[in-house]
Amino acid sequence: MSIPHGKITAIIGPNGCGKSTVLKAVGRLLKPRGGMVYLNGNDIQNLSTREIAQKMAILPQSPQSPPGLTVGELVTYGRFPHQHGFGKLKPDDKKIIMWALEVTKLTEFENTAVDNLSGGQRQRVWIAMALAQQTELILLDEPTTYLDLAYQLEVLELLHGLNREQMCTIVMVLHDLNLAARFADHMIAIRDGDVICHGPPEQVMTENVLRTTFRIDAKIITEPHTGRPACISYDLIKENN
Amino acid sequence: MTGSRHSGNLTEQQEKNEEYKRKRELRNLTIIVICAVVLAAVVFVCANIGYIKFSIPDIFRIFTGGGTNRENLVVFEFRMPRIIVSILAGAALALSGCILQGVVRNDLADPGLLGINAGAGLLVILYVMFFGTQSFLSVFTLPFLALIGAGVATAAVYALAFKRGEGVAPMRLILTGVAIQAGIAALTTVLVVKLDDDQFDFVARWQAGSIWGSSWDYVIALLPWLLILVPYVMSKFRVLDVLNLGDSVAGSLGASVEKERRGLLAAAAGLAASAVAIGGNISFVGLIAPHLGRRLVGPRHLVLLPTCALLGAVLVSVADTIARVIVEPSEIPTGIVVAIVGAPYFLYLLMRNKH
Repeated sequence: MSIPHGKITAIIGPNGCGKSTVLKAVGRLLKPRGGMVYLNGNDIQNLSTREIAQKMAILPQSPQSPPGLTVGELVTYGRFPHQHGFGKLKPDDKKIIMWALEVTKLTEFENTAVDNLSGGQRQRVWIAMALAQQTELILLDEPTTYLDLAYQLEVLELLHGLNREQMCTIVMVLHDLNLAARFADHMIAIRDGDVICHGPPEQVMTENVLRTTFRIDAKIITEPHTGRPACISYDLIKENN
Repeated sequence: MTGSRHSGNLTEQQEKNEEYKRKRELRNLTIIVICAVVLAAVVFVCANIGYIKFSIPDIFRIFTGGGTNRENLVVFEFRMPRIIVSILAGAALALSGCILQGVVRNDLADPGLLGINAGAGLLVILYVMFFGTQSFLSVFTLPFLALIGAGVATAAVYALAFKRGEGVAPMRLILTGVAIQAGIAALTTVLVVKLDDDQFDFVARWQAGSIWGSSWDYVIALLPWLLILVPYVMSKFRVLDVLNLGDSVAGSLGASVEKERRGLLAAAAGLAASAVAIGGNISFVGLIAPHLGRRLVGPRHLVLLPTCALLGAVLVSVADTIARVIVEPSEIPTGIVVAIVGAPYFLYLLMRNKH
């Protein structure tokens, strides 16, 4: 399995199937018991943690920021892998932080405490931190969990824009199939740690794949607005059929 | 790569943000300076307080080298070492608490969590049981033993909380710490019952936190620890910042989480153990100084660490002076004063946070 460069990849699968585990193994937060992860052809086990952090950023599910930390300070922490010793922020670092705040539309909140923001804004702060890390690859574990519908779209639109305009490669675990099919260029369906199917949404969002992955009977149509497949209704599989 | 397409000019909003940040940095610096000035004033005032009183001009004269032999003896041989020991112990405990709360991401963590007090206390009791309180060796052996006890207890907590492949998860560290602390405390109680009156009195004083190390020897015993550990801890301010975001984010940002945590825990243990060995059980400072510090300067460790150290120093030196004079000519243990002053304030903080 490989993750296409410069695209948005969505990992889908039922609870406990190993989506997050795959993401963590790719990000080297976990050491795979078998198998290898290559980044641009290099085995990531041979890279230092800092080198990896300069190449990819991983956002875990609902990260917590310490109370009182401001948006600007949290985004500044994204420069950690590029900083050494006691040195202050260089002009370049400052530029990157300002840019990250700008593209996530957080400039006006720079000096607001993260805990005073709404859920959607907070998720944008973490994405801004990942952007400040200046990596070509961003991994996100369920970036829309616990968010209202509008905030979910806000976050995904942001990621979509970052992918198209800044050429970030994005890999995310998503629970919502329709959002995954709408925003991803590439999808990976996982069940019990095995990849059931991967490819463009049209190949993955099929009744067959969803039946094996989620054990559901799904009705798939092509959504007229986006031209992407969407699941309009689903049922448990009847045992006797 | 995601090229920074930022133009050279700042927008109005960005100018405003920069201005705000400059102001806050200035404010933080002012707070640190104020803490330092308060500390200096405390040294000055504390040197003056005690059984023998001096007037303010006298104190100036003595500090500038014009004191009589008797005055010099009181100020430089009796009072100053004790003030300096309490400053060093307070700073060390506050730093230790600040590190711990950051590393385990729990505001209720204090140096006691690593079993430091319990381990040190146990060895002190064992020593007193076998060698009595009059042994002339105790001036030097006691802090040393306390240090060993603290070290062994911390190592035990770490080893038991360690899980292969995952390292030490903060929650497991806290639970293990609580368990070890309770276990050693139980053992201590069993031993205390067997002590005679003299021994019991000594141990009770130690456990209540009494700065009994009040000669230059103790300053010299405490100083090297701080000289080694404080620069190490300060150099890790950025690591502490990202560890505060949780293991996954810290790892994702390129921190070697387990390695850094082990180093920082060892430093925290070393700082607290050396302070507890000389000052007894005053680790409450390690709980409240970081809280105060965060309230004053926020959670960034570059400013938080020095602020905590200064606050801890002020707290313990003030508490020790109160302890020294409040029931003159006798004295009550410093740890008790710290708790009497600190506990209501701490409750106040908690009540305020509820709203």
